[in-house]
Amino acid sequence: MNVREQLTGYLFILPAVTLIAVFGIFPIGYAFYMSMRRWRVVDRGFVGLANYEKALGDWMGALLFAAGFVILLVAYMVWDGLSRNRESNPWLRRGLPWLLVAISLVSIVTGWNRMQAAGDPRFLNTLPVTFYYAIGSVPVQLIVSLVLAYILFQKIRGQEVFRMIFFLPYVTPVIATALVFRTIFSPRETSIANRFLTFIGMDPQKWLFEPRPFLEVMFGIKLQGFLAGPSMALVAIIAFGVWTFVGYNTVIFLAGLGNIPKEVYEAAEIDGANQWQLFRHITVPLLSPVTFYLSLIGIIGTFKAFNHIFVMQEPSARGTVVTTSVFIYNTFFKAAQFGYATTAAILLLGIILFLTFVQTKIFGERVFYG
Amino acid sequence: MADTAQSMETIRGKSIPVARTPGPPLSRTVAYAIMYAILILGAIVAMLPFFWMLSASLMTYGETATRKWLPSVPQFANYVEAWTEANFSKYFMNSVIITATTVAGQLTTSILAAYAFARIRFKGRELIFGILLSTMMIPAMVTMIPNFIVIRGDIIPLPGGTWLNTLQGITVPYMASVFSIFLLRQFFAQIPWELWDAARIDGANHLRFLIQIVLPMSKAPIFTVFIFAFIGAWNDFLWPLLVTTKDTWRPLMVGLWTFATEAGPETQLMMAGAVIAIIPIVILYFLTQKQYTEGIATSGLKG
Repeated sequence: MNVREQLTGYLFILPAVTLIAVFGIFPIGYAFYMSMRRWRVVDRGFVGLANYEKALGDWMGALLFAAGFVILLVAYMVWDGLSRNRESNPWLRRGLPWLLVAISLVSIVTGWNRMQAAGDPRFLNTLPVTFYYAIGSVPVQLIVSLVLAYILFQKIRGQEVFRMIFFLPYVTPVIATALVFRTIFSPRETSIANRFLTFIGMDPQKWLFEPRPFLEVMFGIKLQGFLAGPSMALVAIIAFGVWTFVGYNTVIFLAGLGNIPKEVYEAAEIDGANQWQLFRHITVPLLSPVTFYLSLIGIIGTFKAFNHIFVMQEPSARGTVVTTSVFIYNTFFKAAQFGYATTAAILLLGIILFLTFVQTKIFGERVFYG
Repeated sequence: MADTAQSMETIRGKSIPVARTPGPPLSRTVAYAIMYAILILGAIVAMLPFFWMLSASLMTYGETATRKWLPSVPQFANYVEAWTEANFSKYFMNSVIITATTVAGQLTTSILAAYAFARIRFKGRELIFGILLSTMMIPAMVTMIPNFIVIRGDIIPLPGGTWLNTLQGITVPYMASVFSIFLLRQFFAQIPWELWDAARIDGANHLRFLIQIVLPMSKAPIFTVFIFAFIGAWNDFLWPLLVTTKDTWRPLMVGLWTFATEAGPETQLMMAGAVIAIIPIVILYFLTQKQYTEGIATSGLKG
């Protein structure tokens, strides 16, 4: 290694590294700094952890809540480890993971109740909203895109055209398409969503303007608290999310299907397996790493999602569509509480780091084709 | 039935290796019919919002509130009105300049950095690259607020005081991209070292080797990075929303959003604006969809 060579190297990376350091790394540290200050438009001085206390309410509660999720991860790892080891006691193998899951649920629920009693309801409420959004959109978009990819993979005529059509919603600017969805799910009786409802014989709905839970409005099922589920407005936003991301998932699934060796199918066909058995016992298990990847990317993505939720939120839907990201924006830009907004952002960062850790943990242990 | 029996026969007789068992022709036809039905249903759902966007953009204001699917007389004047009176021409030009500046900057910094990370040995190379990679998972919500304060000119003194409502304020934070560096580095690393040895004997330095040998060889990956950067810059919303308070540099997406919130019920004009906003992306996508989807598939799978 000579000096000249080294200098050239540093010179080449200098522009990119400077920009990333200033706009990508420095802000993380600065956000920590801001989150410990009272900062409304201008800095008003150090307040310690007061902003965090305001958001979370109760330290013990927050700790129990977070610990619950860690225990859940441990339960998965124990289950994974024990199921590999065939020598282990079957009672232990089945019982221990379930015991851990039960402990984690108790811990999460206790922690949550303690936090709710003392914390900021506007912030805390964003967690179940984001959770509903993730649970409502990710499984649906995975199933739909798996089916579409599987069909497209059958060397069907027009494969390219279909793939192109499914992918188009993902590339087009979100602001433009979300504005279109705002008219599709508008409360007007003549909006497209309501035309569809009247067509199948149901009453028109208020959609994006409706804060009541989907289950209650559509099926009359009234549940309390967390179990009540997403609001009608959030369901409309979920529909947009699914519509946008199915194409992306389909493309990744198609690539995954292409990686499965043809010989496996041929061997199974010779053994007399039918199409369903091929799908169930070869395609699904061999695609499971891709499915895991897409589901975790999808869940992390829902915590980062902002643009379409921001465009589709209506004041009459109240807090039922405000995810953590939208809350951070509102606190920062509308309420001008810079310090408190960065506190929420740091908490969001914690959640995303945890999910990323889960992702690498699960992928690190699973061999491809696992 | 006859078909199945026949293929069983071939297996038992161990003649030529059996290809796919075709199955009875009738159930095969039914299976294909179902598969096409699902695909066509999916395509309808995927395209319906675009159809509605286009159709509503040609309606009169009254028609958008009815049950009509198509305008009785296409109102092309909507586009003229959106382009001139709703200021979309201004927003469009702003978006063109912002996208061109961002993409040019991002390609330059990324090519240089990717080349160094792939082909120049210097101390701390892997460490620096690892740190850069780890920033990819940081959500924009975390960096947004400090960046806003930086661009407003509160932390570091900026030339011209504040960068709010300026071209540099919108573009400079996006002029480097870890994702682009990552993609290009993968490709640059595969270029044979013999080429570099030969070039060095001819007296070339890294910069000349990069420009004269590496770049012409790397048209495909650079093009992929170009498409990603273009779509990213054109579709970007949150950052320009924060740093523009006037029309001077407001891009199309922010303009569309402010128009939709301020003009309220003028659905047909909003739809015309939306069509204007998506046209460049749709054209680019149709021209390059092969590279683009392949880029998504490979980078997505590698995570």
